[in-house]
Amino acid sequence: MTTSSLLEFARGPLFRLSFAILILGLGRIIFLEIWGIIKAYGNTCDMKMPWQLIRSRSLEWILPVKRMMRNRDVYSVVSFLFHFGLLIVPIFLFAHINLWQQSVGITWPALPYLWAFWLALSTIVFGATMLIGRMAVKQMRFLSKPQDYFWLILLLTPFVTGFICANLSINAAFYQFIMVVHVLAGDLIFILIPFSKIAHCVLAPFSQVVGAIGWKFPSGADEAITRTLDSPKG
Amino acid sequence: MNRAKNAKLVLWILAGFAAAVALNRYLFGLGVTTNLNDRTPWGFWIGFDVMAGVALAAGGFVTTAVFYIMKREEFHPLVKPAVLTAFLGYVAVVVGLLFDLGLPWNIWHMIIYWNPHSPLFEVGWCVMLYTSVLLLEFSPVPLEEYSRYAKIRNFLMKYRFVLVLLGIMLSTLHQSSLGSLFLIMPERLYPLWYTHILPIEFFISAVALGLMMVAFETLVSHWLYRRDPETVLVGKLCRVAAWVLALYFVVKSFDLGITGKLGLVFNGKWQSDLFIVEIAVSTIIPAVMFAVPRLTRKPVVQWTGSFMVVAGMVLNRIDVGGLAMYDSTASYTPSWMEIAISLGVVSAACLVFLFVLERFNIWEIKPADPESMPQTAPSFDYSSRSWLGTPDAASLARHSLAFVLSFALGMGMMSGKRLHAEGVDSIRVSPATGIDTLCINGNRDDQYVEFSHEGHIAWLRTHAISLTIDGVVHTASPSGGDSCTFCHHLNLPGEKVSNCAECHTSMYSEVDFFRHGWHASAVGANLKCDDCHATGVTRNAASAKKCTACHRGYDFAPGKGAAGPELYIPSYVDAMHKLCVSCHIADLREVSSLSQTNGGILSGKDKSNLAQCASCHRTGVPPELRADMKWQVKLPHYDNVVLPNVGVTVK
Repeated sequence: MTTSSLLEFARGPLFRLSFAILILGLGRIIFLEIWGIIKAYGNTCDMKMPWQLIRSRSLEWILPVKRMMRNRDVYSVVSFLFHFGLLIVPIFLFAHINLWQQSVGITWPALPYLWAFWLALSTIVFGATMLIGRMAVKQMRFLSKPQDYFWLILLLTPFVTGFICANLSINAAFYQFIMVVHVLAGDLIFILIPFSKIAHCVLAPFSQVVGAIGWKFPSGADEAITRTLDSPKG
Repeated sequence: MNRAKNAKLVLWILAGFAAAVALNRYLFGLGVTTNLNDRTPWGFWIGFDVMAGVALAAGGFVTTAVFYIMKREEFHPLVKPAVLTAFLGYVAVVVGLLFDLGLPWNIWHMIIYWNPHSPLFEVGWCVMLYTSVLLLEFSPVPLEEYSRYAKIRNFLMKYRFVLVLLGIMLSTLHQSSLGSLFLIMPERLYPLWYTHILPIEFFISAVALGLMMVAFETLVSHWLYRRDPETVLVGKLCRVAAWVLALYFVVKSFDLGITGKLGLVFNGKWQSDLFIVEIAVSTIIPAVMFAVPRLTRKPVVQWTGSFMVVAGMVLNRIDVGGLAMYDSTASYTPSWMEIAISLGVVSAACLVFLFVLERFNIWEIKPADPESMPQTAPSFDYSSRSWLGTPDAASLARHSLAFVLSFALGMGMMSGKRLHAEGVDSIRVSPATGIDTLCINGNRDDQYVEFSHEGHIAWLRTHAISLTIDGVVHTASPSGGDSCTFCHHLNLPGEKVSNCAECHTSMYSEVDFFRHGWHASAVGANLKCDDCHATGVTRNAASAKKCTACHRGYDFAPGKGAAGPELYIPSYVDAMHKLCVSCHIADLREVSSLSQTNGGILSGKDKSNLAQCASCHRTGVPPELRADMKWQVKLPHYDNVVLPNVGVTVK
């Protein structure tokens, strides 16, 4: 398989497959999450929910100026900017929109070139900062699992390769190789998102609800507890 | 092994796969997903989804007739499942039809725009009415779960005899008139299947198929949930079916004998072989098996016999629906996508059937979900080893995962070439402008390629080059004389060099560059049909003269143009990329030795930037060409795009 046929495969069939997994997989976990919440809510004896608090807390976590600035200011700013570029650049990059336009005929407004350049660069820099921070700071290293490093590296791969392709002068063969890495890494990210911690991109709005319901006892729990405590084993 | 669980998983996988194809069918149309064409507009979907689907659902009216009209009380356990099967079967027919109709949103037209002369009109109305009747017939079953609907249920139960009568009447009408549809096409349908009594044959076979479908469905559902099989009842069905099948066979043979077509059965053509297989599987073998009363009580005979009738009669409907074409050149093979959609519709219907079976009182005891039994081990997630939750949560997680993955697989398997061709509206290419330096901007989006025509000519005069595109080697050398043909590989008659855009007329999609209309018109080549097509055979591309018979010296790429029905050539973008990029990449190897700049051609250093689109595709028209470009109009499709190099929105 030559590089160009691999590239065609990666951005044709493999892209369609991984994009479908991304969209439907995320839809699936949203559905399962809501279904589980409804089930759990139906089981609780105390039906009161602090909806106001849940809403304000969810918003606070999405824009972490208030909450995270309290203890880890550098991390929260870096993390927020990283997330911003991570979402904006791939979706609004002109080259990506052009591909959609040519294949299925849909377009949307694109980022101006300079914006895309600086946003991509900042995402790479902030992502690298987060990676270094994870390795350098003792507490963070202690909390990190292998997949935390893996994800940062995997997410940065298409950014770095894409940045090289778009901005640097390289010869055609090397360009194609870099492009294959770019597309394959993107496909892999799409496939893995619904089955990994990156699923927080859609599950984050539910986390507060799940937390609130998790503290509720299911109906009949009081009797079960009494029974357990009264039993000779308990 | 949990049979029902595994069966559901397989059905979800099939449904997910079909959903992906269905999405593409609705986004990009029938051309992308089917092998149907103007000669064969009715294919697998009509034969299987509609005609076989309606026939398979005949169990509903047959069983209700046996139970309510003939008062055979012992068949009571079969009535509810049979009516449910019939209802789901008809819904599947309607859903399948929505895929097949070119303009599915017009399906309601027959309600208002009447054409009483058309059998299809009658079939449409009957199917619509009978589906409603089946819904009303079946709805007492789910309604009995909810006490607040007791009044509605009592009303329906009170008048169910009317519904049953209506159902039998409507079924009789349209089961037969599905056959009448084909009475108007004696020239299409092979004579072994074509007969004036096609409606009668359809009705008799529908009765046999209905009986056997009920038997088969009972056997399968009892096997899935490990219940005691209804051997006695199914045996009785088989014995009735033996009589009906015998009647079908007699009618069919007499008809063939009277019309003098018996000889066709054994003439060795593939159609007659197909006919023999069909009649043997659907009628003769099962009828003989069921003729012995002792045998009909054996599960093996019941399973094989009922399956043979079901498969054979479905094959009969597919044959009549388009497979057994009189003209074998018109035959078509269904694409895998057509089959996937049909399987998906059937799977979805089966899933609903199993759901209703578990949820409502179809049998006297609801089948317990085997996963909720205390002795069943809990299920865990494969990767995280976490508990998947209660059985319903676990099966939801598992089934949705199966659906998602098979959907994605279906998306991956779609033909990118077909999608690419259908995805964009055909954008006509505007030719390059300029003389010595060309401005190539086919879609007029202001991203142009500046092409030094003079420079390339000069370069070709001094260099030998060979280039392989699509397996064809193109060569040019200074000694070889005219190097123009290296790029202008094919020119229109009377022209020495034709513009690329004259043949590669579409920006993104492949085009048929043979202009049939122009060849036939009086203002064009003014040719008569016989000038190109041989007489006495079907006039198509295969029977036409080769292009080279008139256009001598035309150098078509092998396999294309020389013969064959398809004269498809790449889109403008693909053609340009193949020519320019392949050549420049081939030339890249010599970059180090070529440092000269030839009249505007990219120098060796610049060529290394070739992979970046922007090194050829620039933005803004060069000043020297601006005068030529005044007439150009912007197309609307780029309105929203901000071009990267300048950061301004094109209006």
